[in-house]
Amino acid sequence: MSTNNMSDPRRPNKVLRYKPPPSECNPALDDPTPDYMNLLGMIFSMCGLMLKLKWCAWVAVYCSFISFANSRSSEDTKQMMSSFILTPLSCLRLSISAVVMSYLQNPQPMTPPW
Amino acid sequence: MKAFHTFCVVLLVFGSVSEAKFDDFEDEEDIVEYDDNDFAEFEDVMEDSVTESPQRVIITEDDEDETTVELEGQDENQEGDFEDADTQEGDTESEPYDDEEFEGYEDKPDTSSSKNKDPITIVDVPAHLQNSWESYYLEILMVTGLLAYIMNYIIGKNKNSRLAQAWFNTHRELLESNFTLVGDDGTNKEATSTGKLNQENEHIYNLWCSGRVCCEGMLIQLRFLKRQDLLNVLARMMRPVSDQVQIKVTMNDEDMDTYVFAVGTRKALVRLQKEMQDLSEFCSDKPKSGAKYGLPDSLAILSEMGEVTDGMMDTKMVHFLTHYADKIESVHFSDQFSGPKIMQEEGQPLKLPDTKRTLLFTFNVPGSGNTYPKDMEALLPLMNMVIYSIDKAKKFRLNREGKQKADKNRARVEENFLKLTHVQRQEAAQSRREEKKRAEKERIMNEEDPEKQRRLEAALRREQKKLEKKQMKMKQIKVKAM
Repeated sequence: MSTNNMSDPRRPNKVLRYKPPPSECNPALDDPTPDYMNLLGMIFSMCGLMLKLKWCAWVAVYCSFISFANSRSSEDTKQMMSSFILTPLSCLRLSISAVVMSYLQNPQPMTPPW
Repeated sequence: MKAFHTFCVVLLVFGSVSEAKFDDFEDEEDIVEYDDNDFAEFEDVMEDSVTESPQRVIITEDDEDETTVELEGQDENQEGDFEDADTQEGDTESEPYDDEEFEGYEDKPDTSSSKNKDPITIVDVPAHLQNSWESYYLEILMVTGLLAYIMNYIIGKNKNSRLAQAWFNTHRELLESNFTLVGDDGTNKEATSTGKLNQENEHIYNLWCSGRVCCEGMLIQLRFLKRQDLLNVLARMMRPVSDQVQIKVTMNDEDMDTYVFAVGTRKALVRLQKEMQDLSEFCSDKPKSGAKYGLPDSLAILSEMGEVTDGMMDTKMVHFLTHYADKIESVHFSDQFSGPKIMQEEGQPLKLPDTKRTLLFTFNVPGSGNTYPKDMEALLPLMNMVIYSIDKAKKFRLNREGKQKADKNRARVEENFLKLTHVQRQEAAQSRREEKKRAEKERIMNEEDPEKQRRLEAALRREQKKLEKKQMKMKQIKVKAM
């Protein structure tokens, strides 16, 4: 082979498989946005349902959307590492039900909180 | 009737000219029934009302069929003109009409005069009873906001995906010529190249390459900006941030000598020195300027020993660093790499964290946020630098002096660590011993059988004596050693 001096650096016998990095400390190190937003979403949707405040329910919907967009793993079924509160769509479902319930109980348009 | 109606309309149009018509009315002699007194009241009322609020509206019903809206100031005039019209038509018709009209008429001005000061309020129809979409403007705003967020999510996700694919297409050839396994997600039974990036997130993509001389494997992580999150996009408008490519090469133990070394932007190095376990322990000085080796001012060096820096900064490396200085965030070679410092809880003795010989590279994608797929080609030379560094790390060996210094450093660090944990371990052991003693004593106290009690007490005393003897011995040894 003419490329003897530039020998092939590949070594098929030295292949190592990919090991996903250990997940104990990673969730804490990565940014906490999805967790915070999830929590906020839950709180706001509870407020909206209990106190019948429409704007709370809308803020909860926004929070759950933000949490979903920032979520760390693309498939939660694959990695069960994250805390089980971060169930993928539970916050979204809760906030949407808060909005729907607020409007069913009181079809008036929303009054801003200020 | 129709004529009458049109007359009213015309009168409304000429409403502002009241005084002149007043005079006309007074001069008329046809109407005998009206008293001057009545009119006098009228006049006062008229003048007042005209001056105060010529726009007050009274709805009066003259007939069952018709309702006319008359301006208060015009009542008299209309009446007068009515008279004209009616007298034209016929007296018999006008008279009862006049009476009726007049009767109601007297009262109304009286009542209306008393109500002069009460303005008529038009009550607003509450918003929810209005059947208009306008009252739901806040909801429409919210839904629009949500739609905008979803649109941005889709657009951002697609852009990140395109950027990742562009990067991979550019680098695929180089990687495949250097590594046997390009792309693995760890799930297949056999080690075959998937030839694809692992998508960890909407903004993080991984690629694992393996099967090369010198190194165990290389993990490339494309950390893009969170283009899928609208909040992030807005925050980035204030403070531009770059996409990053992080490369971590795990070296074989025999293929890398023992040293810790880092090059990068000053800010990055300061941060790494604080965060990383090995840099904080082995490179205690502040980052030094690399001007001595021909590096631009933006880059600084953190090194365990001067010799390492000299060895690392050969011409080719300097060439790489100067040409692509704007894209390099940090380059970190270490044989003691164990990741960032872990915050330990109190009283938890740890063994030294596992270390691995690694080369770490962090590159910034040009464009500082506004990247296009074609910008990924600019990163190809940096990958060449990575490959070159791998080979260099294998070739570079410390001389004897350097090796001695390095070994001493490592021994020192280990000793420090053991000392720290030794104190903690001792404390833990002490507390455990005390717990045991207390438990024993309680057992003795609780024992009812006196025989057993005596036996246990004796055993306890024997054990205590043994411990004390041991401690005495240890103290003697310590004294001798000192």
